[in-house]
Amino acid sequence: MANLDDYQAPAVINRWRTLALGAGGIALLAWAVGTYLNPEQGLRSWLLGFIFWAGITFGSLGVLMLQYLTGGAWGVVIRRTLEAATRTLPLVALLFIPLALGVYFHTFMEFTHMAESDKAIDIHIMEARGIYMAPWFWIVRSAIYFAVFGVMVYLLNKWSVQQDKTETVEESRLVLEKASRFSGPTMVFFALTVTFAVVDWMMMLDPHWFSTMWGLLFVAGWGLSCFCFCVALLASLSNTAPMNRVLGKRHFHDLGKLMLALTMVWAYFNFSQFLIIWAGNLPEETTWYLARMKGGWGYIGIILIVFHFAFPFLVLLQQDFKRKARWLATLAMFILVMRIVDMFYLIGPTPRVSGTLGQGAFFISWMDVVAPIAVGGIWLWWFFGQLLKRPMVPAKDPYFEGAVEHGHGH
Amino acid sequence: MESKLHGIMAEFDTPSDLVDAARKVRDAGYTKTDAFSPFPLHEIDEALGIKRSILPYLIFCGGITGLLSGIGLQYFVHVFDWPIIVGGRPHFSLPAFIPPAYELTILFSAFVAVFGMLFLNGLPAPYHPVFNVPRFALATREKFFLIIESKDEKYEYAETRSFMESLAPQEVFDVEE
Repeated sequence: MANLDDYQAPAVINRWRTLALGAGGIALLAWAVGTYLNPEQGLRSWLLGFIFWAGITFGSLGVLMLQYLTGGAWGVVIRRTLEAATRTLPLVALLFIPLALGVYFHTFMEFTHMAESDKAIDIHIMEARGIYMAPWFWIVRSAIYFAVFGVMVYLLNKWSVQQDKTETVEESRLVLEKASRFSGPTMVFFALTVTFAVVDWMMMLDPHWFSTMWGLLFVAGWGLSCFCFCVALLASLSNTAPMNRVLGKRHFHDLGKLMLALTMVWAYFNFSQFLIIWAGNLPEETTWYLARMKGGWGYIGIILIVFHFAFPFLVLLQQDFKRKARWLATLAMFILVMRIVDMFYLIGPTPRVSGTLGQGAFFISWMDVVAPIAVGGIWLWWFFGQLLKRPMVPAKDPYFEGAVEHGHGH
Repeated sequence: MESKLHGIMAEFDTPSDLVDAARKVRDAGYTKTDAFSPFPLHEIDEALGIKRSILPYLIFCGGITGLLSGIGLQYFVHVFDWPIIVGGRPHFSLPAFIPPAYELTILFSAFVAVFGMLFLNGLPAPYHPVFNVPRFALATREKFFLIIESKDEKYEYAETRSFMESLAPQEVFDVEE
């Protein structure tokens, strides 16, 4: 069987780690000053950074289970990257604390003030939804989501360590089968937990509005974020040892196909949500889109249609493009930027507690740029630390040799 | 009297033998060649020097045709032929037109993919000379075959046959027309 020491993560990651921490630290200081001056804007920007980077963590957890279910060389080569990303979960829980405090102190999210509202609609919502709208219950629910994700992350990583310690192919196969059997039913709980989590964290920004498509938007979007992140990272490592011995055009081709599929799924879900609301034409639903079709938000919507869907879709249709790691990685980073824009489009027009801006007014704060950098720098610092802890590939997996072999054939 | 030959076929035991032999055949300058295997071999296209199929471009054109037909059909029906106001919306309501247009895009792409594939492969072919070699039936089970057709410009019976034998195959067959 393969020697694990041959696949240690390259030293260059240490340098990236320092850079990430430096950039993240400076941005964090700037964000802290900004939040002191304007707590609500600070928390809204923090949510933007949080939901994007936590999305890579949660997306990686979903894709990790997906590759246990489907098999395939692409899953074997990205498995350790996914696992390192899922192990950022404790950090993601820490990064969530500012948001929990914001809800606890009612500085952020309109629903925390609805109990005092005397508007008929608000009274009706508070009565109909009951305890679900209590800020403390919102925080308890979030803790439950982290616990549920935590169990999945813990078990999948534990078995992966176990597999590295196996001596024979048979033992290794047993561990793989255990992970695969776990992943099937757990996928269902994963999708449900994501749905509940994003309803709380994102949809409740606008407590008057609701969409049953919401959870799926994030399942697809986070899956896409995860694949883009893996492609961008692995393309940067594909010329250095050990990944130059592992990765081939075939792997990027497959990851590119998955990016294409999820780009389409993201557009499909978004359009489904739009079409249902547009066809229904009910006032309580259409307000969400009306706010997002006016002024600056309208332009952001068009940018998303063109650059989050149409452009990546047409480019990824071409086989030659998907087989060139550099090109694919460039597009992946472009899509990741669009993912932030998409999150901004969801968060931006929602009502503010402080009432400083009318609902739907177009506004980009400097903190909307700084907070994603702060969260991202810290997230990447932690992620690279996790990546260095384990070999870059599951070299003892029974399918490892087969997953690598063809990579050399180019 | 000797009947006209379709080509010369060689049988191999393993996929890597086939791919190695295919490389030598291509390097020797033969172009009217083909390989047969019980399962897809990713390297064989490159080894035999088979050009990329034009099928993806045809499918793309099929998809665009489907998209335009879908939108065109609905535009014609809802704006010219039988305009009805539905839910107070304009006759030309693009969001509502997208699902049928999308389905037609897929339908046309799928038709072009399936029938284009059959056409480009020359299928259905009720008769093909390679089946005149009795052992060729094993191509669907465990053996790998390579053929140089007699219409190849470089084809010259004695020379090609001895070249095929030099590739270390299990056996070399004359394929009758």
